[in-house]
Amino acid sequence: MSDPAVPWSEHAKALTDPSGASAKPEALSDLRVLDCSQGNFAALFCSSILAEFGAEVIRLEPPDGDVARLFSPRGILHRGTGLPYLVEGRNKRHITLNLGTAQGRDLFTRLARHMDVIIESAKPGEMDARGIGYRQLTEIHPRLIYVAFSTRGQFGPRASHPIPDYDITGQALSGVPYTTGEPGGEGPAESSVPTRQGNWIAWYAGGGWGAFAVMAASVWRWASGRGQFIDCAPPEGEMRLADYDVQWYHTSQRVRERVGALNICVFPYTLVKTKDSYSFIAGFSDINWKGLTNIIGHPDLGERYATTKDRIRNAKALHAELEKWAANFTSQEILEKVQDYMVHKRGPGTVATARLNRPVDTLQESHWWERGVFQRVEDPDYGELLLQAPPWKMSRTPPRIKWACRPVGADNEDVYLRYLGLGKERLRALEAEEVL
Amino acid sequence: MTESYFDWTSHAFDHTLIFDKPEALRGVRVLEMTTLVLGPTTADFLGEFGAEVIKVELSPGGDTMRYVTPEATFWRNASLGFFPENHSKYHIGIDLHTEAGKDLFKQLAARSDILVENCRAGTFDRWGIGYRQLSEINPKLIYVADSGFGQWGPFSQGRASYDAVAQTVSGMIGITGFPDRPPILCGIFIGDWFGGLMAATAALVALHHRNKTGEGQFIDLAQSESLIRSLDWTWVHHGLTGKDREAVGNQDEALVPAGLFACRDGFVALAAPRDEEFRGFCTAIGDPDLARDPRFATLPARQEPAHAEVLLQRISSWAATKAVVEIEALGERHGFAAARVANAEDRYKDEHLRARAAVWEYEDPLYGPLVEQGPAPKMSATPGRIRWSAKPVGWHNMEILVRLLGLSPARIQELEAQGVVGKWADRPGPKPPDDSRPQ
Repeated sequence: MSDPAVPWSEHAKALTDPSGASAKPEALSDLRVLDCSQGNFAALFCSSILAEFGAEVIRLEPPDGDVARLFSPRGILHRGTGLPYLVEGRNKRHITLNLGTAQGRDLFTRLARHMDVIIESAKPGEMDARGIGYRQLTEIHPRLIYVAFSTRGQFGPRASHPIPDYDITGQALSGVPYTTGEPGGEGPAESSVPTRQGNWIAWYAGGGWGAFAVMAASVWRWASGRGQFIDCAPPEGEMRLADYDVQWYHTSQRVRERVGALNICVFPYTLVKTKDSYSFIAGFSDINWKGLTNIIGHPDLGERYATTKDRIRNAKALHAELEKWAANFTSQEILEKVQDYMVHKRGPGTVATARLNRPVDTLQESHWWERGVFQRVEDPDYGELLLQAPPWKMSRTPPRIKWACRPVGADNEDVYLRYLGLGKERLRALEAEEVL
Repeated sequence: MTESYFDWTSHAFDHTLIFDKPEALRGVRVLEMTTLVLGPTTADFLGEFGAEVIKVELSPGGDTMRYVTPEATFWRNASLGFFPENHSKYHIGIDLHTEAGKDLFKQLAARSDILVENCRAGTFDRWGIGYRQLSEINPKLIYVADSGFGQWGPFSQGRASYDAVAQTVSGMIGITGFPDRPPILCGIFIGDWFGGLMAATAALVALHHRNKTGEGQFIDLAQSESLIRSLDWTWVHHGLTGKDREAVGNQDEALVPAGLFACRDGFVALAAPRDEEFRGFCTAIGDPDLARDPRFATLPARQEPAHAEVLLQRISSWAATKAVVEIEALGERHGFAAARVANAEDRYKDEHLRARAAVWEYEDPLYGPLVEQGPAPKMSATPGRIRWSAKPVGWHNMEILVRLLGLSPARIQELEAQGVVGKWADRPGPKPPDDSRPQ
């Protein structure tokens, strides 16, 4: 029985503080995952999630390493591995295997028998043609859950004409860049264009969906004893997150266009220039707009633009009004004004604001460090790395980072001995034959 | 294996057979008391794969998202913004400010596997229906608390959050868009949607643990922290170089070439970072020698900023003379990635997406023919599905109160009279279409 006198925030912290995670069990300690994807951060994020929750994840790379290790800004390598891979190598064992050889494919099949989940990102049909796809593996291992990542998927009219899977093409097909960015004519021509998210959001959405589907398949396997094939296309993963765009087209034949820092449903839900930076500011329902116009000392605007329709029709003019006010204050001062109004309940409405952070600003805020969002991991192979931790705080089975990454083939001896009983001599021979 | 691979997959994933297959989360009940997008998506994703979702709203106005619709224009009295995160749910209106309302909510929680809420931290605890209280009634309950900044920590107190707050505080906006231009918001509510995906995934992980142990648990999910997780190399880069990550427009610094390019008739995404893809691309533009130029021959050489700049200018001037479909066709033929910057109409009319039920057409009993984005991952044995669309506030009151809680019609009438249970307000957003006959 918990003590109701303890404030909720303290109680919640006691339940979920990730600094205590290592003393608690891991939810997926019973799952073994073989990730043989190549150059695909959707697949890598998928296996990272499973590894963070305690699955034993084995990364299978070709003998000279996954090309994903070379995907790095300005080509920066740290001890031979690129920065993105150092983020998504977490908690994974690393082995090599040459699937281009008959012996390699035979070893793959033998390893697969021991696995609960296989993750791949080969050209659709390629694993099947090699005799190591889902169709073949399910014959010998009906409990297997098999996830394949690709841009166009494993079926459908265009599936047999695949293209390599990348984040930028995933973003483009999702529809999100079409609606992101400054409208034409509002700025220089080269920047008033459909705009990508700076991070690999299609790959991260795709990988998130992959992990979601693996867990749904695991829950069903618990009941049925049967595995299945999961076809995960990152563009469709991000597309599912693309608001009401298709519904709007269906009902009104309207195509949603770019509006920069505005929103076509509501106002204000926008970014404004402040004395020292930019701030996001929202107060878009009628009552919250009233609150915001009180805060900026312009209650007349609250009355004149009382409905959402009034506000979005006059969004540009009202945005200019907000910027006129915001120019007098720093983003921090604006936050304090809003907090003062909210905490002391000086009037109706809920207003949200936040200073636009550079990543380095986020790193300076204590909130994230207290919550274990960032960690300086001491990795035995790669030294100290600043990593973003798993985003979930969980009371019984918290996720965690155990190590950051492993060099190419670093776990060959351990994994091949444990699963297939292959000793060092045998591994050396396989290496000489270019199987490992 | 005599059947060709793509014949086999077209049978294994045939969308016309979806309703003839079982659902992964059959028998899992989700109780949600959420608003806007983050919380509703968490429950919706579980519902797409077979969970029964009961959505509790404060009657008569209901979820705030019922008023968020493009150009503030309602369609058949509904908000279009409300549809994509509220499928196949049971809608019930309860006033949780009343003791009787809380009691109903507790009874529902006692019969549920997963609870999702997204109120500000501590609200449900104060109302006596938080994790501390509900886990006493139902120790197997998986309780998902979605929020902007988490349940504890300095920012968790008194700070409201939306999707765009998460975009702003996470650094996502800071690394997006063009240098020296005003910052822009992501075109979609990405902080909500991605957070919801992370929350739903954790709920399933907890379900897996519960299958083994019988234990429920508490999950604290902050949308800002989910976006921080998604910013790939931003943080490790700062740790190793001491440098901040800047916005660089439409080109990818890690993959060269990869970016968005203007064509004669639209925009195209193009990527050819692997050396063999780049060779194919050079052949496609009629300049195979370019792939032998030492500045461009290998990925590490192309990643050099000075080399990348020359190369991307070359690609830009080439792309400007081409049509989008030409570049797409060249990608297929020469083994690099090319795809249009698609808009809603492109997706709506796309036969491939229709055949994959990524664009899902169905007939709703209240709203008629609808087209929405379908479930994202395609599962061969337990495919996701949409049964019906979002419904007015309190649409399923009888269904839930009678079927699930076994209340008598007289008791329900009493609760309605006391305002504990309620239906839609008579205004666009919460109410049914004008031509419908209320139940």
